[in-house]
Amino acid sequence: MNQAGTGAHMWITSQPWRLWGHQIMAIVRQELKHNFFTRRGTWIYLLAFGPVVVFAIDAIQTPGCAPCSLDEDTSLFAATFQLYYMRFGIFFGVMGIFAWLFRGQVVQRTLHYAFLAPLRRELLVIGKFLAGALMAIVLFGAGVLLSFSLVYWHFAARGYDYVFHGPGLHQLAVYLGVTALACIGYGAIFLTLTIIFKNPIIPGIAMLGWETFSGIFPAMLQRLSVSFYLKHLSPVSAPSDGILALLTVVTEPVAVWAAVLGLLLLAAAALALACARIRTLEISYSSEQ
Amino acid sequence: MAVYKRTYRRYDGPLTPQWSRFLVLTRYSLYTLFDSRPFTAFVVLSAIPLLLSGVLIYLSHSPMARTLLQLPGPIIKIDPKFFRQVLLNQGWLAFLMTAWAGPGLVAPDLANQALPLYLSRPFSRAEYVLGKMGVLFLLLSAITWLPVLLLFGLQAGLEAGWFKENYWIMGSIFLAGMLWISVISLLSLAISAWVRWRMVASAFLFGIFFVGAAFANMINGILNTSWGHLLNLGHLIFGVIWPKLFRVAVDAAGANPHARRPHLPPGMVALAPLPIPLWQACMVVVVACAVCLLLLNRRLRAREVVRG
Repeated sequence: MNQAGTGAHMWITSQPWRLWGHQIMAIVRQELKHNFFTRRGTWIYLLAFGPVVVFAIDAIQTPGCAPCSLDEDTSLFAATFQLYYMRFGIFFGVMGIFAWLFRGQVVQRTLHYAFLAPLRRELLVIGKFLAGALMAIVLFGAGVLLSFSLVYWHFAARGYDYVFHGPGLHQLAVYLGVTALACIGYGAIFLTLTIIFKNPIIPGIAMLGWETFSGIFPAMLQRLSVSFYLKHLSPVSAPSDGILALLTVVTEPVAVWAAVLGLLLLAAAALALACARIRTLEISYSSEQ
Repeated sequence: MAVYKRTYRRYDGPLTPQWSRFLVLTRYSLYTLFDSRPFTAFVVLSAIPLLLSGVLIYLSHSPMARTLLQLPGPIIKIDPKFFRQVLLNQGWLAFLMTAWAGPGLVAPDLANQALPLYLSRPFSRAEYVLGKMGVLFLLLSAITWLPVLLLFGLQAGLEAGWFKENYWIMGSIFLAGMLWISVISLLSLAISAWVRWRMVASAFLFGIFFVGAAFANMINGILNTSWGHLLNLGHLIFGVIWPKLFRVAVDAAGANPHARRPHLPPGMVALAPLPIPLWQACMVVVVACAVCLLLLNRRLRAREVVRG
């Protein structure tokens, strides 16, 4: 046991962590430079900032919002966050960002350059994942932050009080945290799908179906979806409706640490699978498109 | 004969008639699609809901079969609503099929600069589009309005006098099916011609319907209106145009459980947002189709200017 421990310690200390760190950072920088602000990504910005425009129109329509109620608008924002951002906006945005990381290079016929570089392929996966996650978190985080600000801004003093002297600031922090976790969770799964499948959209849509309808399955199966953890982390619960509300299996509340850890473990498992798969990945540009 | 002596000679074999040349493309594209076993399996599986509907129609007219299965009374009422629902289920299967097959029809030709090869034949751009759309029309018709018409025939055969009262449903089934097929076919071809990448084209197609619906509901909820539905092509077709075609009641378009309630003095009741009128729904659908045709016209050229 002691020998095994010493062996593991020796293996850890003998790895070129510093070099790997530099290589990952170089990949992150390169990806951010190429993919952060591009014309190709316009639709992702629309997904992230669409609700901001709608909340801005609402704020302009009802300045001061004397007859509005804070509770109602808080619930409205929660519904927008859970039904638009979590279920569709972040899902499709992250799908676009992460699918492009590898498949984009295949379409541009440049992936072999990355594979020819003196670099472990696992580091390429991790670097691209970090870059994609950073992009998604910044874009969708900014969208959520601006939407939240607009919801309470048009309440003037009441909104200011709610945010800075009430539960608002805590809610905002949780929303931003949930957004980051959603980007990480969905991102890891999409990155893995793009490496395993030539066309990850069909499995991606199957995943959308799973994420949407997983609520009607037993609690054990629900734990295999990203939305299960995100739902338990949301600060304000949105009212559910329709046939799904009738069929939903209500699970026991999950502790925050367990939800965060569960989601991160799910993402880590997906990334580990991607790392294992990339080692044997062969590029065939002719069969793409 | 030496190879260098093989100079240009005019083709003197039989020519395909002008009117049916587009079908050559359709035929070969269909062969390519059915080379894929998963796709063939999907086409077969999409017949299952139809078979179940056929069984339902049969059971609702066969007291003996119902007694055998120990089912009390008629199971379901076979009316225009039933046929609309069957067509709706098949419509979503047709959408999945389009997302799978549609982008692969045009995108590879454009990405591999193969369009000049097509258009150098006695073949116009319109015929190219017609040929590619023909694939989708044939496939989607085979799983949407055609089998639903067969179900209609089954129902008409089983209940005497029913046909005389409900013959108009045939036209509704045909028109509703063709409308849906036209919209999703045009969208899929236009998107794949625009983005030139199958995967992204499939994602866009899903995005237009799913994100469009989410965005529409968000607008309706926050602004307490029903105008958001104008961004939701699925709602405009299934929720506004089809109910008119099948003469069933339009769902309350503005109903949204997350909508902000207007704050009125006590005793006053807020009016629900009005549903989208038929003419507006039709106009949005026509504009969407026109934009798709414009995109196709712009992208499908025998020459290309490459930037950078």
